[in-house]
Amino acid sequence: MSTIEIEGKTIEVGGDGFLIEPDIWDKELARLIAKYDGIEELNEKHWAIINIIRDNYEKKGMAPMIRVICKETGLKLREIYQLFPLGPARGACRVAGLPKPDGCV
Amino acid sequence: MEKITKDKIECGLEVLKRLQDSKLISHLNSCVHCGLCADSCLYYLATGDERMIPAGKVDMVSAIYRRYCTITGKVFPALVGARELDDTNIREMVDLLYGACTMCGRCVKHCSIGVDIEYVIRTGREMLAKMGYVPESLQATVDAALTSGNNMAIPDEDFLDTIEWMEEELQDELNDPTATIPINQPGKNILYTLNPREPKFFPLSISAMAKIFYAAKESWTLSTGMYDVTNYAYFSSHPGHSRIIAQRMYDELQKMQAKKLVLAECGHGARANRWEGPNYIGREFPETVTSVELIAGYIKSGRIRPDRELNREVVTLHDPCNLVRSGGIVKEQRYILKNTVKNFVEMTPHGMDNFCCGGGGGQLAMSEYNDRRIKIAGIKAEQIKKTGAAIVATPCHNCVDQLSQINVTYRLNVQIKTMAEIVADSLIIEHP
Ligand code: SF4
Ligand code: SF4
Repeated sequence: MSTIEIEGKTIEVGGDGFLIEPDIWDKELARLIAKYDGIEELNEKHWAIINIIRDNYEKKGMAPMIRVICKETGLKLREIYQLFPLGPARGACRVAGLPKPDGCV
Repeated sequence: MEKITKDKIECGLEVLKRLQDSKLISHLNSCVHCGLCADSCLYYLATGDERMIPAGKVDMVSAIYRRYCTITGKVFPALVGARELDDTNIREMVDLLYGACTMCGRCVKHCSIGVDIEYVIRTGREMLAKMGYVPESLQATVDAALTSGNNMAIPDEDFLDTIEWMEEELQDELNDPTATIPINQPGKNILYTLNPREPKFFPLSISAMAKIFYAAKESWTLSTGMYDVTNYAYFSSHPGHSRIIAQRMYDELQKMQAKKLVLAECGHGARANRWEGPNYIGREFPETVTSVELIAGYIKSGRIRPDRELNREVVTLHDPCNLVRSGGIVKEQRYILKNTVKNFVEMTPHGMDNFCCGGGGGQLAMSEYNDRRIKIAGIKAEQIKKTGAAIVATPCHNCVDQLSQINVTYRLNVQIKTMAEIVADSLIIEHP
């Protein structure tokens, strides 16, 4: 177990910086994790991505395919990579409070 | 960690005892403690922690061997530095053999007498795997592959939907509505594979490779039955699991009646299928090549004609350990870059002596050792910075992920790309 310290708050995360308890996630936590990654402010596009990921996780228990994120938000692939420089998994899914996906991510 | 039991000890020792394996026995016994391997290992270099010296990792396994498999060790264990297989030692083994080794093999090349350190470490992992001590997050990735057929547990319909999407993108780019990404078509020349992170999160390399196949007028197909090039059981080193996964690839190739298997850009995938695969399943694989070799061949024979002017930024190359050190594939990726980019610069050291990105050996999947993984990558970050390159190309999706993460952490400000993306960017497709 590990922690993220930001704005004087301490967030408990797993070794990889993903929340251990996805249920404690809220918008404020998302803002803090993003800030920790160097994303100063979450704009509308960030939120559109986060909401899709969160929604998919709550319904299906896993992160959505990037295909679904693009389709539902209408954003281009490259735009998503720019919005979350750490990528859809280590960036967006982590901000959305998901556990770390398996595999090479 | 679950407590050790007598049964577990037996399972672990079986690995050492079954080995009337003269190779293992000589590698377990021949270290002369010269210390030369220390500076080859990025864990020791980055941390200065003497526990991380490769010879010490070898000794973890050989001390157990001495304790249970030699007469003096059985009678006077202290005399020969023998160790019990108890909870403390197992914890230490897990921490060092899984948690402090990327199986990069660099130490092997530097060992003064040629001890196959990595092989011994793998044997130690095999013992731990048999006893049930694979780190949880690594085991989760193996389990996902075993139960779902791919290591990210992507359902078939999601996979197909993504391939269709990439096909549309390809048609747009090529301005040809007949361009395809063939799927489930038997009797093709090539059965192509993917790393599941491509369809799941990073599909640009799929359309890039499809563009290359299009330009080369290749006969190829993907298959829903088995497309996962990875074999994470190679990292957990559980022989039963790695056999199941390798066998699946073999069977799919038979089923699809493809002439050859082409392995996507994946260092350990190349190793686990092409070089270890036949050992796992006890029979030869049909012709199996990496996509790097295939693309280099296309360029050499003139089947594709890249234009270097289309890639003008400075590009450097990261060599995946499994491709260069264990596979001997060193020239092909350089040949490709020299023909597809204007400014190619090497890092120092490179090729056979290259440093691991820090994400090998299953480290990317193991959350338990995340901080270490990022720390040891400082060496790679420095190497990249010194080249002054704007793009780092690497023929391995696992390396791509690690490099992308250190790109942010160490503020490198570069782009990380697969070879397929670089090559695709250098191709102009002429329509008749
Ligand atoms: S294989 Fe690589 S990481 Fe492992 S001990 Fe040797 S040099 Fe270190
Ligand atoms: S270089 Fe080889 S012989 Fe020397 S300490 Fe390391 S493993 Fe032992």
